Amino acid sequence: MAEDFLVATDLHKSFHDFKAVNGVSFSIAKGEIFGLLGPNGAGKTTTIRMLSTVLEADSGEIIIGGHSVRKKAESVRALIGVCPQELALYEDLSAMENLIFFGRMDGLNTRDARAQAEEYLKLMGLQDRAKGRVAKFSGGMKRRINLAIALMGNPQLVFMDEPTVGIDPQSRNRIYETIEGLQSKGMTILYTTHYMEEADRLCDRIAIMDGGKIIAMDTPRALKAQLGDSEKATLEDVFLNLTGRSLRD
Amino acid sequence: MRAIYIALNEVRLYLRDKGDLAFSLLLPIVTVALVYAAFGGETRFEGDAYVVDEDNGLYSNILIDQLEAVDGVDVELLTASEADAKLDNSDVLLVLFIPENFSEDLKSGEPTHLLFKQRGNAGDEGQIVRSIIQGVVSEINKEFTVRSQVAEIVQDRGITQDQIENNVQELLAEERARPLVGVNEEVLGGSSDFETQFLPGIVTMYVLFAVSMTARIIVEERRNGTLERLLSTRLSVGQLFLGKFLANMSRGFVQTLILLVLSYIVFQMFTPLTFLQSLVIALLFTAAVSAIGLIIASIAHSEEGASWIAVVFSVICFMFGGTFFQVAKDSAFYSISRISINTYANDAFDTILTGGGSLANVSTDLLVLVGVTVVGLMISRYLFRIVAGGK
Ligand SMILES: Nc1ncnc2c1ncn2[C@@H]1O[C@H](COP(=O)(O)OP(=O)(O)O)[C@@H](O)[C@H]1O
Ligand SMILES: [Mg+2]
Repeated sequence: MAEDFLVATDLHKSFHDFKAVNGVSFSIAKGEIFGLLGPNGAGKTTTIRMLSTVLEADSGEIIIGGHSVRKKAESVRALIGVCPQELALYEDLSAMENLIFFGRMDGLNTRDARAQAEEYLKLMGLQDRAKGRVAKFSGGMKRRINLAIALMGNPQLVFMDEPTVGIDPQSRNRIYETIEGLQSKGMTILYTTHYMEEADRLCDRIAIMDGGKIIAMDTPRALKAQLGDSEKATLEDVFLNLTGRSLRD
Repeated sequence: MRAIYIALNEVRLYLRDKGDLAFSLLLPIVTVALVYAAFGGETRFEGDAYVVDEDNGLYSNILIDQLEAVDGVDVELLTASEADAKLDNSDVLLVLFIPENFSEDLKSGEPTHLLFKQRGNAGDEGQIVRSIIQGVVSEINKEFTVRSQVAEIVQDRGITQDQIENNVQELLAEERARPLVGVNEEVLGGSSDFETQFLPGIVTMYVLFAVSMTARIIVEERRNGTLERLLSTRLSVGQLFLGKFLANMSRGFVQTLILLVLSYIVFQMFTPLTFLQSLVIALLFTAAVSAIGLIIASIAHSEEGASWIAVVFSVICFMFGGTFFQVAKDSAFYSISRISINTYANDAFDTILTGGGSLANVSTDLLVLVGVTVVGLMISRYLFRIVAGGK
């Protein structure tokens, strides 16, 4: 196993009295795609917000690329990219303008920002819409821009929080291909989703979260093997078996 | 450098929002138009004096020059036939005729007569213009008497006519500049110069409204999700706030600039110097107010919340800041008014525009504004850290 690029140890976060994240520990190896699965409200987004330096943990430690998030947030920010669960872009700007703006925020000069923006728009199949206003884009296109922004500055670790939620199969497939391409270039990825087949296809390892805790963590194959017949079992079965069948909002 | 990009991006977004842009550019124009409609031109008499100069000599020219020098009077020269035609059509109700040998006669000491031709009672404006002309003529009369008496007294002493003329002119000019009996105006129940007193109030009011604009910007980014995204980049909170501050200060300043330029054109209430000084005050005031707006922005969690805090803040500033009424220096209200930021801007405008002072006279006011800017920026950044940390 390669060296760990991210190590999170015993993370806790409460909102008022509510424990959103309750003792989460895991590590991600360099070049690995790590899946964080769980029903709504499990604490996935809260965990990502702490890892990406925007939310301070109540306790616990996070080391990314050898830097402590608490002490060296600036250094960590230089290594990471974030694709938030909710779209985070300027609707009144064009796709290109959005990418260049965030590229500059990550310290790129104008020329590099433009070159990378062109590269990632192409990767997302949006090179023809570079000058179009984002407000006029379809949901799938916005999602792809949202992901492209996370790649600006060529981060070593990218957090992707449900990047494919609510989009058409074509956009979704393009995103899968992009992620696989990025991994082959050595990028480390933390991926959250509640689509099981997605995690099965993409992730090297998976942690299943519920109620602010990690309740299982292994490779997809090993998790399925826990149910006995790893050939017939799906991750869906594993998931429902572990988290129960009651409805979540 | 990133702060500049933040500011440029802000400006770009602002320019893209056509409605917002039109509104903020139209606002100063509408304000000036309203002030003009309400008060413009009514505070001082303005009229035309129609003059037919058949003499065109030294003394008719002096007469016309002095008329022209009277505030609010414009001299319109006509030929005799034009004047008669205009009087016939009632285009003009009063014309002053200066006869052909007016200067000759005066020089030789002959009595001479000016002629008013008027239609009916010459109308209100005609009557006022006539008394103004009569005032000027009696002035000239007196000056002429002085001159001829002086000439008489010194006539055998070998002093030339030119020397007498020069000396007398000098003395008269001195007297005009510093009259023995001067006339000062004290206006009750209003201002002699409405615009000079009220426009500064409007400027500050305006800029205070910009507080609510500024107060909303961080909330907007928060709602967009872009705030969180920005916070995970290498942009620091300090750079973010500096960028937002620069953008909002520029926006507020452009509005104020339009307002001041229009006031300059429409009300002629500035000289180039007082205009520049007013711009400096406006800039520093906009900066201070933007910094305060950022404090609100850093603690507000919804747009309504931000707007409300901003409105309450602005109203308090109006009430205590003497925007629409003067606060007497010895009243208890005076010390309360010191807590309102626009007091300082109003004071500064007042000193420059009506008190004849310069920026040096208002350095304390300006210092307060700069201080509020710096402290405001620091506080907003600090509060943002605390509040954002919990969310
Ligand atoms: N800022 C917040 N304030 C209060 N409660 C929050 C906040 N963020 C998340 N929560 C709560 O924490 C729990 C975990 O949320 P989240 O991390 O978004 O879950 P997930 O991403 O797995 O769906 C949820 O019950 C949510 O309501
Ligand atoms: Mg989530």
